[in-house]
Amino acid sequence: MQKPTWKSTLKGYLYLLPALLILIVFSIYPIIKSFLMSFYTDYDFFNDTVNAYGFENFTKLFQDPNFITALKNTGIFVIGVVPLSIIISLAIAVLLNSKIKLSGFFRTIYFLPFVTSVVAVAIVWSWIFHSDYGLLNYALGLFGIDPINWLTNPTYAMPALIILSIWKGLGFNIIIFLAGLQNIGNQYYLAAKVDGASAWYRFKHITLPLLSPTMFFVSIISIINAFKVFDEIFALFNGRPGPANSALTVVYYVYQKFYEEWEFGLASAAAFVLFIIIFLFTIIQLIVGKKFVHYN
Amino acid sequence: MRKEALSKGTIYVLLSLGAILMLLPFVWMISTSLKAPNEVMAMPPVWIPSEWQFENYSSASEAAPFGTYFFNSIIVTVLTTIGELLTTILAAYAFSRINFHGKGVVFAVLLGTMMVPGEMLLIPNFVTVSNLGWIDSYEGLVIPWIASIFSIFLLRQYFFSVPQELSYAAKVDGCSDFKFLWYVMVPLAKPALITIALLKIIGSWNAFLWPLIVTNSQELRTLPVGLSAFTTEAGIKYELLMAASTMVILPMLLLFFVMQKYVISGVARSGLKG
Amino acid sequence: MDIRIDQLSMVFDKTTAVREMTTTIQDGELVSLLGPSGCGKSTTLMLLSGLYKPTSGTIYFGDKDVTKLDAQKRGIGMVFQNYALYPHLSVLKNIMFPLKMQKVPKKEAEIRAKEMADLVQIGHLLDRKPGQLSGGQQQRVAIARALVKKPNVLLLDEPLSNLDARLRLEMREEIRRIQQEIGITAIFVTHDQEEALSISDRVMLMKDGIIQQESAPQNMYKKPENEFVASFLGNPPINLMTITKSKVADSYRLEDMDQTINLPALPPTELQTVRLGIRAEDLYISEDNPIFHGKIIHIETIGRDTLIRMQVGGITVRALVDPNQQLQIGDIHGLGVHPESIHYFHREHGKRLPLQKRGGMRHAKAHVEEHA
Repeated sequence: MQKPTWKSTLKGYLYLLPALLILIVFSIYPIIKSFLMSFYTDYDFFNDTVNAYGFENFTKLFQDPNFITALKNTGIFVIGVVPLSIIISLAIAVLLNSKIKLSGFFRTIYFLPFVTSVVAVAIVWSWIFHSDYGLLNYALGLFGIDPINWLTNPTYAMPALIILSIWKGLGFNIIIFLAGLQNIGNQYYLAAKVDGASAWYRFKHITLPLLSPTMFFVSIISIINAFKVFDEIFALFNGRPGPANSALTVVYYVYQKFYEEWEFGLASAAAFVLFIIIFLFTIIQLIVGKKFVHYN
Repeated sequence: MRKEALSKGTIYVLLSLGAILMLLPFVWMISTSLKAPNEVMAMPPVWIPSEWQFENYSSASEAAPFGTYFFNSIIVTVLTTIGELLTTILAAYAFSRINFHGKGVVFAVLLGTMMVPGEMLLIPNFVTVSNLGWIDSYEGLVIPWIASIFSIFLLRQYFFSVPQELSYAAKVDGCSDFKFLWYVMVPLAKPALITIALLKIIGSWNAFLWPLIVTNSQELRTLPVGLSAFTTEAGIKYELLMAASTMVILPMLLLFFVMQKYVISGVARSGLKG
Repeated sequence: MDIRIDQLSMVFDKTTAVREMTTTIQDGELVSLLGPSGCGKSTTLMLLSGLYKPTSGTIYFGDKDVTKLDAQKRGIGMVFQNYALYPHLSVLKNIMFPLKMQKVPKKEAEIRAKEMADLVQIGHLLDRKPGQLSGGQQQRVAIARALVKKPNVLLLDEPLSNLDARLRLEMREEIRRIQQEIGITAIFVTHDQEEALSISDRVMLMKDGIIQQESAPQNMYKKPENEFVASFLGNPPINLMTITKSKVADSYRLEDMDQTINLPALPPTELQTVRLGIRAEDLYISEDNPIFHGKIIHIETIGRDTLIRMQVGGITVRALVDPNQQLQIGDIHGLGVHPESIHYFHREHGKRLPLQKRGGMRHAKAHVEEHA
């Protein structure tokens, strides 16, 4: 490779210009701006003027019971979705990987929800969750379980949201796990079979350890995505954060403060808290991920 | 003796059960969308409508301007996809084939911004777009989305796999950089470009939060926003709601069925970078 | 068109790939750039093509200074080691590509491409994609693509190194045939001496970015200008040894040995120590007038040749000998050489030294003392 010259530098930036222009205006500048906005304590949106800066937004934020609820709900949502989703998708991926016919067909079906509009499927699920005529309560009724007010009872709103989210995200995890499984060389299994290892033993001592980098990646991505949940809630509960704020999450809180209440500073502060949480997980992934690399 | 935990039969049964659960909401959606109102609320549920009510679809379109929503979604999807492909091709070429001062720094900064959740950009972007006067316009719906760092990285990796000798050969054959990019690199990168385009089409067809906040009038709503508004407008007419949902979901399902290998390879690659 | 290179240098970061090279390539000539890997031959080619721009120096095509001109404007054709065909285009489209870039009308481009395909004998493969062709066929397409725009110069970068041995021989002759048929100036980079010596009008042997010698192939083999050239060319490699003047006038002995050797031609008298080079095929078994004696330690018959290795004091000497001779391992024989087959090189800088013909050579007696 030859060294860059001024001519090639000019050319390089010319090619980058369109992408860079968009990314600077709509990705890089907003990161800085968002950080600054979280310190706006008196902001006039219509004239885009800031009258005062300060830390008040953050103190206000943590004194707001709604924000605490949002944090708590987000936490519950993450715990409710991530482990279950990983276990189910790993099981399905292992089954799909067991050299059966039609595995491509099954893979397609499991992946379908991923390509569909969250809003549309959430509306479909809200119909399934319908307390009187919903499919789910009918099915539960067959087992003698009384109808549940999935979408109107604060106790069940979160489980309903979790069911929808697992169903929607399963396909993505399965694809990633399948890619990971196919990276594991067949020789390990052959060796283990020769040694007379049982299927369960092979899964526990070969598949799981060799799949750990993938598992780790899927976990982090799932956690990060779960922290960002919004569309599902909006559509499932018809533009409300669930009954009695039972499905109020951090992003929903941001949306409320920003779009419904025009509290730009507070909303930015909440978004910044979300960023810190996600950033921590990303950092964990980068650090721990490095350690896992030698597995492959 | 082979010791398998599960027999082939058991695997098929388990996978089929799971597949049915995955498909059920779609089947139920389509089934409801074709029912007469009295069958919608029937208990036990009716799976196959006694009379197929295709007019539910036209009724839904009359109840809300789904034609307009559909048109908007197509315009926005097509424009963002073409825009992103163009910016991505140029940027990926610069990063993979041109040596320029500051390349490493620019690359690292872009890599860093990938870690920032899009939700954090929402508020400042809303302010920017309203300052530009793009609220309630196609510009506001399209322009912020015509560049993607992930796509640039994906294509850059692909471009790296094209041997350097080929660009030498092309230069000797009389190609400028741009002609080489256009006549050689782009045709060679077709699979990657299809993947990028498909992921973009799916993402922009289904996008919700951004279109929700930058559109005020009905005339500029995209399908998901229109559909969400329709839930309040339609009241509890589930057959119409399901017909409308089908209109939103079906195009992507069909696209996916036809092009699934590109979509899946793109998703799998997004996983392998970890 | 002549190509003139003047004081050309190319520096990458800290390594100098080409060092103040000055030479001229005549119109219609096929010149090989030969040398070990890293000698700067490929860099020289890249500089000629315009794909690299030199650190200093000038390149003239004819009278025109092209040093700053980009590759696409130099009017060159180039063939690459890995062929570098466009995988997504058919053979015909590949050959037409340079014409398309020149905006030649499609009809005309097609006719010219087909003519070129016939010249390289791939006229029957026009609709195939490069992936469906053998290495040799791909190389033919690459040559056709390089020639179709009627370039002034054809540059070939190790074009045969990815082919198997037999195909390499065939393509080598093909390249020569095509080059002579259209009379184009061609520069051919290779690390294979046999290739260079067989194909070219002139060979430039490079090392460390410097041309060591440029001359007709046979001349380079017969009269290497320095020790590196002598050692690089020839298989088996040339026998090289250090000899030192002994007290007796006009007599020399091998370094670290008392054996006096009987040289039919002498190095310049003012030097105490010189390097002596004799090719294996120039040595023959001679009991009458040998330069030295040695013990056969190895005999190898390859086809029509018999290669022996002899222990001469502390060194091993290779000789290609008459296969009809009855030789056995352990035999002690004398080895003779013609005076014109002896090469002397300076001990320090390796430059070739002139021979001093020995006055009364016929009277020089075989004077060998062995102290084994």
